[in-house]
Amino acid sequence: MNNIQYVAPQSIDEAVAAMAAANGTGRVLAGGTDLLIQMRAGVVSPGIIVDVKKIVEMTTIDETSGGYRIGAAVSGAVIGEHARLKKAWPGVVEAINLIGSKQIQGRASAGGNLCNASPAADSVPALVAAGAIVTVQGPKGRRDVPVEKIHAGPGRTTLQPGEIVVSFTLPARPAGSSDAYLRLIPRTEMDIAVVGCGVSLTIQNGTCTAARVGLGAVAPTVLLVEDAAKALAGSRLDDKALEAAAAACRAACKPINDKRGTIAYRTKIAGVLLKRAAGIAAERAGRK
Amino acid sequence: MTPPDAGARQNAAIDGDAAVRFIVNGRPAAVAASPLTRLAQVLRDDLGLTGTKIGCDAGDCGACTVLLDGRQVCACLTPMGQVEGRSVETVEGLRQDGTLSKLQQAFLAHGAAQCGICTPGMLMSASDLLRRTARPSRAEVLDAIGGTLCRCTGYQKIIDAVLAAATSAGVDSPPVGQAVGARAIRVDGIAKVAGTESYGADAIPHDALWLRVVRSPHAHARFALGDLEAVRRAHPGLEQILTARDVPFNGFGIYPDIKDQPVLADGIVRYRGEAVLALVGTREVVMRLADEVLPIVWTMLPPITGVDEARAPGAALVQDDRPGNLLMEGGVRCGDVEAALANAEAVAEIAVETPFVEHAYIEPEAGWARRVGDRLEIHVTTQTPYMDRDEVASVMRLKPQQVRIVPTACGGGFGGKLDLSVQPLVALAAWRLGRPVACIYTRPESMAATTKRHPARIQARFAATVGERLTACDVDAVFDTGAYASWGPTVANRVPVHAMGPYRVPNMRSRGAAYFTHNPPSGAFRGFGVPQAAIAHEAAMDALAEQLGVDRLEFRHRNALRVGDRTATGQVLHHSAGLAACLEALRPRWRDSLRHVAAFNAQARKAATHRRRGIGIGCMWYGIGNTSMSNPSTMRVGLGRDGTLTLYNGAVDIGQGSNTIMIQIAADALGLPMAQFRLVAGDTDRTADAGKTSASRQTFVSGKAAELAGADLRRQILRLANAGTNAALALDAAVLTVSDGETVRRIDLAALAADPDGNVLVGKGTFDPPTTPLDADGQGVPYATYAFAAQTAEVEVDLELGTTKVLRIVAAHDVGRAINPMQVEGQIEGGIAQGLGLALMEEYLPGRTENLHDYLIPTAGDMPLIETILIEDGEPLGPSGAKGVGEPGLVPTAPAILGAIAHATGVRLTRVPVLPHRLRAALQAKPGDRP
Ligand SMILES: Cc1cc2nc3c(=O)[nH]c(=O)nc-3n(C[C@H](O)[C@H](O)[C@H](O)COP(=O)(O)OP(=O)(O)OC[C@H]3O[C@@H](n4cnc5c(N)ncnc54)[C@H](O)[C@@H]3O)c2cc1C
Ligand code: FES
Ligand code: FES
Repeated sequence: MNNIQYVAPQSIDEAVAAMAAANGTGRVLAGGTDLLIQMRAGVVSPGIIVDVKKIVEMTTIDETSGGYRIGAAVSGAVIGEHARLKKAWPGVVEAINLIGSKQIQGRASAGGNLCNASPAADSVPALVAAGAIVTVQGPKGRRDVPVEKIHAGPGRTTLQPGEIVVSFTLPARPAGSSDAYLRLIPRTEMDIAVVGCGVSLTIQNGTCTAARVGLGAVAPTVLLVEDAAKALAGSRLDDKALEAAAAACRAACKPINDKRGTIAYRTKIAGVLLKRAAGIAAERAGRK
Repeated sequence: MTPPDAGARQNAAIDGDAAVRFIVNGRPAAVAASPLTRLAQVLRDDLGLTGTKIGCDAGDCGACTVLLDGRQVCACLTPMGQVEGRSVETVEGLRQDGTLSKLQQAFLAHGAAQCGICTPGMLMSASDLLRRTARPSRAEVLDAIGGTLCRCTGYQKIIDAVLAAATSAGVDSPPVGQAVGARAIRVDGIAKVAGTESYGADAIPHDALWLRVVRSPHAHARFALGDLEAVRRAHPGLEQILTARDVPFNGFGIYPDIKDQPVLADGIVRYRGEAVLALVGTREVVMRLADEVLPIVWTMLPPITGVDEARAPGAALVQDDRPGNLLMEGGVRCGDVEAALANAEAVAEIAVETPFVEHAYIEPEAGWARRVGDRLEIHVTTQTPYMDRDEVASVMRLKPQQVRIVPTACGGGFGGKLDLSVQPLVALAAWRLGRPVACIYTRPESMAATTKRHPARIQARFAATVGERLTACDVDAVFDTGAYASWGPTVANRVPVHAMGPYRVPNMRSRGAAYFTHNPPSGAFRGFGVPQAAIAHEAAMDALAEQLGVDRLEFRHRNALRVGDRTATGQVLHHSAGLAACLEALRPRWRDSLRHVAAFNAQARKAATHRRRGIGIGCMWYGIGNTSMSNPSTMRVGLGRDGTLTLYNGAVDIGQGSNTIMIQIAADALGLPMAQFRLVAGDTDRTADAGKTSASRQTFVSGKAAELAGADLRRQILRLANAGTNAALALDAAVLTVSDGETVRRIDLAALAADPDGNVLVGKGTFDPPTTPLDADGQGVPYATYAFAAQTAEVEVDLELGTTKVLRIVAAHDVGRAINPMQVEGQIEGGIAQGLGLALMEEYLPGRTENLHDYLIPTAGDMPLIETILIEDGEPLGPSGAKGVGEPGLVPTAPAILGAIAHATGVRLTRVPVLPHRLRAALQAKPGDRP
């Protein structure tokens, strides 16, 4: 094994410069709950580690005219303690808080969860449903990308060499909006999702006026299921609309068979979780 | 299978590290370490704070939990660069001025630490919570400790301790004559809650060389070795590469006549994970050297992956001298099974399938050896020091007296540490090199290389006739014993004896057979095959009760073995057969639960929800000690010239609490308080052979020996003092006072002659439970006594998702006598957790689940509420009437859960684990109107 360098810059510009200097061998370190394990298993062997936990912009949460900006390296524990964020985006926060145990929560970040690019990453379907925008900075400057555009396949992202995810922006949205995330695991905690589903919606006068649906662990990337959202939007979230949305989720699934679940099972569960998550989001949005 | 890098550490050494400064337990620390070195390594290796344990090195087990700026984190996943300038608290910081914190005291008082390997992590997880919330709810406790795994306790006592931490007070040691039956705290408990207990990896000498085993990545292959000497020369610090040729006698095994497992494979490997080479040198070098660098040329061969292939006509042989790949078979026959089946009113046919199950003790195998003249001294985590001694001697071609085993504290065993792991390797290396040599298995290595629970295929037919009487049982159980024999013969023998369950069955035919495959060796695991068999007989009981239209509990009660009954091996039970009493104790709760479940389900149907509840019941019996084999134990109690009272106890306490039990028993037999006892445990140079900590035998067998030893010492004292049998003893420093009515005699111990151990009197006791060999029909007395138990489980199933949540378990166990009710409950609760894992989530797949995130064991949140009912139907042979409880806890659990799922859903699964997708598939296949 080669010598690994470690730097802990104070600013994003320095971090980007360090990544650029690394010539493709750089790796961002946030909580390390994926990276350190992969290094230990010999799956990745970076030349330089860029620790972003000392960069203020990446480790803080701000309110921005009704919306929120969450630093990509903020730990799950800190996010879970942000009462107003939790009230505004309960689904996003519960998804992030489902990552690992309390010990993992103390370290793991949503940025790491996204960039590790596991199709089963828990926070991602909720962020997709929320319509989160990702701010990315790299050698060519800054850009904003919808979160669903980041995953390219298991363990692969669309980030360009040297790019760092700086933060997530959750948009402002009208009263009567909320979200929810549900996942299925065989154990009560600390397990990889067999299926995960995030739903975000707005309800006005009993009618769903806007909806977004994210699905995890059923395809090589986390999915934005637009057909499911279409089935919900405009409906009163009656059984027919829910079944149509569930059918859209099932149709979107391209899962694998493995020890955690069969193709048939994952497909079925995607529909069930959609209905249940939509129900919870609707309750939270104030549906009577 | 290259283990974790020690890379960061090693880089550090090359770069000449800058010091990382931080605060540990309130004191500043500065350590030269690379910013990528993990905190766990620095705490343990640089700062000597070995209270922080490493169970997985991957964030999965929580054994390494510490507080970082007041928040719980895994020290194994925290790089030093992120610790710089921050505050770390470890278990060592919980004690203030030598006084245990309230939380630590609560852990002691509630029996929350069994083996204790998870305890430091648990304490830190709980401290995180308690500092924020002084009086947390149960849900908050579950949330806080959810990331810290415990394999021993079933979490109940841990949860109780955390809930009680605010109000906890110390517990007094029981007074003279009242130790047996007391909820005495563990005699070895303080070290466990203080983090000072020393496990296999905790006290390795600083000058020790390190040994890393190179393991087979293939299930079946031939291999040739290239120029190893060139490799050695190319890697300064690499002292030796050991191969099969270096092992004086390259075969070991449990049975005296089956030494089939090589210490290092000789040209052929028979399972993935088998040891091929041992690299010995500096820690950095042996850990860093990648397997790919080694000149091993593999020729892959087709593996036999299961018993069907192994049994197929013309199958290739796993071991050349084992025709048909058969390790062995055993059986029991009595009466006329065919006639009984023909005349039956109801017949149940059951097919059961169970997978490999991993012990998943939180402490991976670890130990070290050194050569002392012409002797070897091995410090190791083990369940069986005497067998280790004899096996190492055999492998090294030394005399047993030339080997000394000093057991370290054992961080969980459950049968897995009844086989050799690091022992012969470190012994061989230390012997050759004349330096201490240490080895610690990584988690993936521990999982790949060591034994598992035998996968089973069981075909069973049970019949009943008028009066709801069981009349026949016909069971065929086939086990995958893996590549080597290990404990396979024990399983193949024990299962046929237990196959009909704890019932009166006049006509019986049972067969158990174990076959070799290219899978990891199956060995001993809590229950030796009986948990698998219980899934079959309990499914049959439910099916027969249903066919006959009788209540499931009542059907079992009617057929329960009772005193005076004859078992299928022809043994008449003269005493202590408390199954009926267990069922009677459960009956009122059972009836209540049936009503509640019916009401819940009626409501659920009306509301068209997808949740259904069900209740199930499981019964078991379990023969205590070895099957039809002598298994003696000897205990000694010494009274020292200086007034110390010592129990020389060769029975290893693997967390179940035998150290405490032995002292409770010996104290009452002698007539002095527990608190005055000192313990010498396990060391083969200083204790007598107490046999293995297996087969639930230590309380019954070694407990009896301790009772006899205590009584023997008492007799000697009374004789010395010329006092009557009722005399009272008191020990104050070196003065022993014997008061017999009005007469009081003071004996000045310092004035008496002492043996080399400093003892003036030594009481000795030996007990070997009376059994007889089984004849060709399996007839005889295989065990001197049996434990009995019945458990009920209430579950809630989500019909849409196929998920099962166990809500409540009530466990009624006939233990003869509960020497320490708190510890008995702990055994039962821990057994239930393992039974729940067997039923719902655990399945070891070689190559695919070699870690604790792909192999799932229950977390705190998975556990139901548990209520334990102790039935004390005394066994005259046992100490104060006690039998054993180590294994019985888990046997009835899976059957009860499976029965509850069937009650809730109408589908009976007999393949475990019942993973959600399997239950969904079964529900869909069921005719009717399920979703
Ligand atoms: C015991 C355990 C349980 C777990 N349970 C779950 C679970 O339930 N659900 C789940 O989804 N995951 C789980 N995980 C995985 C992991 O914890 C999460 O993916 C976590 O969110 C990763 O965050 P991190 O900050 O630790 O990332 P790191 O390990 O620091 O980084 C992960 C990857 O992303 C890259 N990266 C990190 N931040 C950035 C950035 N800002 N810009 C660009 N690249 C970046 C890193 O280079 C690395 O490749 C678990 C892990 C463990 C050890
Ligand atoms: S050792 Fe750190 S979590 Fe297991
Ligand atoms: S006491 Fe928890 S693992 Fe042994």
